[in-house]
Amino acid sequence: MVNSYIPENYKKALELLANNNLTILAGGTDLMVKTRKWSGLAPGFNGDILFVSQLEELDFIRREKGKIIIGATTTLEKLLHDENTPKLLKMAITQMASPGIRHTATLVGNVGNASPAGDSLPVLYVLNAKIVLESIVAKRILSIDEFILGPGSKDMKSDEMIREIIIDDVEFDFVMYEKAGGRKSDAISKVSFAGAFTSLHGMVHDMRIAFGAVGPTIVRMKEYEARFNETQVWDLLRMIDIVKDLYDPRIQPINDQRSTAEYRKTCALNILGKFLAEAETSAKKGDNH
Amino acid sequence: MPNISKSIPKQDTAEKTSGEALYIGDIKFDGMLHAKTLRSTETRALIKEIKIPELPDGYHIIDYKDIPGDNYVKIIFEDMPVFAEKTVNYFGEPILLVVGEDKQVILDIVDSIEVKYETLEPHYKYTKSVINYEYEKGNADKAFINAVKTINGEYTTGYQEHIYLEPQGVIGLYEENKITILGSMQCPYYIKNAVMQVLNDDGNGVRVQQATTGGAFGGKEEFPSLMACQVAVAAAKLKRPISLIYERTEDIIATTKRHPSTIKFSAAIGPHFTVDAIRAHVSLDSGAYIGLSGVVLQRAMIAASGVYTIDNLSISGDVYETNSVPNGAFRGFGAPQMLFAIEMFMEHIAKELKQPPFEFKLKYVAKKGDATSTGGQFRDSILLKDMIHKVWDVSDYQRKTTEFSQPGSNKGIGMSLFLHGCGFTGSGEQKHIKAVVRLRKNEDDTVTVLAANTEMGQGAATTLRKIAAGILGIPIEQVIYNLPDTDLVPDSGPTVASRTIMIVGGLIARAAKELKEKWEPGVEIIVEERYKQPNFIKWDEDTLHGDAYPAYSWGVAVCEVEVDPVTFRVDLKDLWSAYDIGKAIDERIVIGQVEGGLLQGIAYGMLEVMDCKEGIIQQKNVTDYIIPTAADSINMYTYIMDNPYPLGPYGAKGAGELPLVGGAPAVAMAIENAIGKKITKIPVTPEYIMELMKND
Amino acid sequence: MTEIKFKLNNKNVRIEKDLTMRLLDVLRDDYGLIGVKEGCGEGECGACSVLVNGEVVSSCLMPLGNAAGKNIVTIEGFKKTKRYKVLHKAYEDEGAVQCGYCIPGMILASESLLNKNPHPTEEEIRDGLSGNLCRCTGYNMIVKAVQRASKRGEGLW
Repeated sequence: MVNSYIPENYKKALELLANNNLTILAGGTDLMVKTRKWSGLAPGFNGDILFVSQLEELDFIRREKGKIIIGATTTLEKLLHDENTPKLLKMAITQMASPGIRHTATLVGNVGNASPAGDSLPVLYVLNAKIVLESIVAKRILSIDEFILGPGSKDMKSDEMIREIIIDDVEFDFVMYEKAGGRKSDAISKVSFAGAFTSLHGMVHDMRIAFGAVGPTIVRMKEYEARFNETQVWDLLRMIDIVKDLYDPRIQPINDQRSTAEYRKTCALNILGKFLAEAETSAKKGDNH
Repeated sequence: MPNISKSIPKQDTAEKTSGEALYIGDIKFDGMLHAKTLRSTETRALIKEIKIPELPDGYHIIDYKDIPGDNYVKIIFEDMPVFAEKTVNYFGEPILLVVGEDKQVILDIVDSIEVKYETLEPHYKYTKSVINYEYEKGNADKAFINAVKTINGEYTTGYQEHIYLEPQGVIGLYEENKITILGSMQCPYYIKNAVMQVLNDDGNGVRVQQATTGGAFGGKEEFPSLMACQVAVAAAKLKRPISLIYERTEDIIATTKRHPSTIKFSAAIGPHFTVDAIRAHVSLDSGAYIGLSGVVLQRAMIAASGVYTIDNLSISGDVYETNSVPNGAFRGFGAPQMLFAIEMFMEHIAKELKQPPFEFKLKYVAKKGDATSTGGQFRDSILLKDMIHKVWDVSDYQRKTTEFSQPGSNKGIGMSLFLHGCGFTGSGEQKHIKAVVRLRKNEDDTVTVLAANTEMGQGAATTLRKIAAGILGIPIEQVIYNLPDTDLVPDSGPTVASRTIMIVGGLIARAAKELKEKWEPGVEIIVEERYKQPNFIKWDEDTLHGDAYPAYSWGVAVCEVEVDPVTFRVDLKDLWSAYDIGKAIDERIVIGQVEGGLLQGIAYGMLEVMDCKEGIIQQKNVTDYIIPTAADSINMYTYIMDNPYPLGPYGAKGAGELPLVGGAPAVAMAIENAIGKKITKIPVTPEYIMELMKND
Repeated sequence: MTEIKFKLNNKNVRIEKDLTMRLLDVLRDDYGLIGVKEGCGEGECGACSVLVNGEVVSSCLMPLGNAAGKNIVTIEGFKKTKRYKVLHKAYEDEGAVQCGYCIPGMILASESLLNKNPHPTEEEIRDGLSGNLCRCTGYNMIVKAVQRASKRGEGLW
């Protein structure tokens, strides 16, 4: 049987992490499935557990100096109803799991899981998420693509925990989130997508595009995005094929029990095309300034 | 006589909403031991050696050596062993049980048992035929010779897993002269007979009781007999209560499923664009053991011409054994596979002949008096044309068909026409089941229905009582139905094949009539009724000729969809359907069955994906094997026709399976019409749609 | 083993247990609350639903340690309320109960939904119940039951 620690505050949590080899358990919606044994038996955790969902200091979302900061124990449900949550993130959360799971699952947990199909991840990559890791002695801030190393793998030390994530607070002109799952609700992504841009005087100013479930980690190509700058917004539709060809080699999904590589790739590129088309349409409607 | 169809509150709603109903996993006994199945990790192999570690006190292995009787599960084809003996034939096949008190210790023992296999060559494709049937109607050969054109079609259907919300479970209890099996089940007497066989018992030493059953759909028709035999042997040996409750993943990979199929058609087209003959071959994948596969094949083959009267037929079929999980009963039992195929085939014939499909099919729709596929007769009135008209009207079918066929439309509408033979095929009732029911009028003037049919959510507890109460002319509160206990009820047959109301309810109606005549207040009276096959049923089991079923239920379903051009995902927009089930014993219960069954059929047609790769099921949990959620379902417009069947209680025929049968062809046809590409396989997944769209 | 305190069906309770145990198992085995069912063990089917501070949660995913200080309500507790009576009657009148295995969880999910949104649209109901699988009914009668409960329960939610 493993020992469980339920620290009453964040500092105690860090102290415990420093002195013990612990598995961090927040909502449990991922870990409790992974470690399941037989009904009636305790899950198969390999070591002692640090419970964190009771840490109220980490339950927050706030705006600060052009950024939005989300604490580690903030649930998806709370984010869904908070006015500070960016629209793009709300779009993703609405399609995540089910109400029951959203009531206890945390956004940070979705990040820490580092699954290539993590629904929130394309959005967090697009919002330039930074992961704040803290131990009793040090604090590190990694960009999300530095933090997530591969499927289920992350750059996190045994005495660290994620304290919060910091995302851009930007008023985009157009945002789109799309997820292709097996069914309308409560489905693992076959492909996911987040896209956003702002424009200035009819020209694309800040284009951001990320794909999920099409590779070992989220695919975001900042160098391609830079090429959109100076493009007329009403050229986006014409550029669809060129853009698709550009991203094509970067999208290398796999076959698995949920879907095929070919479907994922076609879908991803179709969604990209849809994004550009809708972006142009929304611009034409005069949603831009 | 009151209006029987008028809905009443169901008997068991309160105990279910309050959480008080006891399912098998909720029941505990003093001294109860848990059992865990050690399963084969090979798809086909010889078992060379099993190394079992020294077991702590109180922990036991139960295997084939503990079986007093013979090592097989008594069900139609007796080839499934209770425990694997010298060979294993599918991944997940049960080899032994580890039994004890502490679950962790049990798991540790299971993990430490070493099985040494010698791998044998497995087969996964349709190569090893173990059953073959054929039948003819008219002269198909002649029609093909005279045909001006031959049109072919090949259709495939996939697995379907029941995903009853309550996983399988049984408990075996020991008493000095009796083994009792308690469990989640459809057929108490199937289980009793199977357990009698393994224990070498004459029947007096075996008792079977149904616990509240959380869904079944055919998945708990024959499969629980396997588990019951295992715990019976364990209970007899250890003289303690033994609990065997499956985990969901275990249930998904190791229990019976709907047979995957491939159906090949050939149509002989006459000079005036008539379908003069159809040849068909049905291939079913039975998995490692045959079990009920022969009967599933028969039903599929008998349904080969669907709702259509085709004068010349030449139908054959094979059951192929493969080294994968054995397949078995699932609502529809071969008909869903065939109705998908024949509906799509008729649609494709029409399209190839450049005839409007709707009008084309109407020409062949069966009428009263027509010969059935097997040369029997449709003796009762068929309301299909009225039903088609009704659904065609409310769905605005004509206008939408035209509108959605315009280029640029992502929408599609499709209509399926379907039927289901009610009850057992041929003389099954007469020869094998021999159903008996009793009504016991108690001294307090309540009446207890004594039948072995199980309430599994379909409302039997309510409908069987309604029939008795209605005919006796007493308030329904005075009629009692309890979940069956073989010590207390006669064998009225299994709760399968859409027979419960028509056959068993029919016997209850006759018994009630007799009881009414004999009624005496304050006195206990027992009346009994035995099944008598109607004289007109003539069936030749060898040639598959004659009346395959005493009655048929009919259905029409229209489905409207929209296909997303970006993700190829299918959105269900609307569903209209009409059913002739004779008479609704309770309208709300029937509609509940229709909505549940139709959604299962639709999901079979477009959502439920199960792949078997080298004998191993790939979708092992409910995350990967997806069924619809409330967000995936839509409102359905359902019409229940009134067409009393003379030999059914209050005119009722079979209703349980019919709605599922029509779901897949309706949605497949709608998708075909939306994308303008021929659909020849189900489930019609976004991946398949993408493939079709790309092959331009 | 650690001691933990929480509220269970309106009673203060305390138990000493491995805090990583699934709340589902603790409720069923330690408290005999068998109305909480296991349907899948992976948080997909919702048969194990309970209310945690009024919100529906899959108890097969919740470690006991997360129950500390929370108000846990199972169907056994909820069935004593007026809201339950309205929901029960609505489910009965609509014929929404077939095999019943999903029903306790479905009722609690209905309560969780109406608690936040007393007059949900059909779409909101379907979304609110999307974490509770039902294989028998096709969902429509359940959706209608929630609509009916919402109408009849004016003032309760």
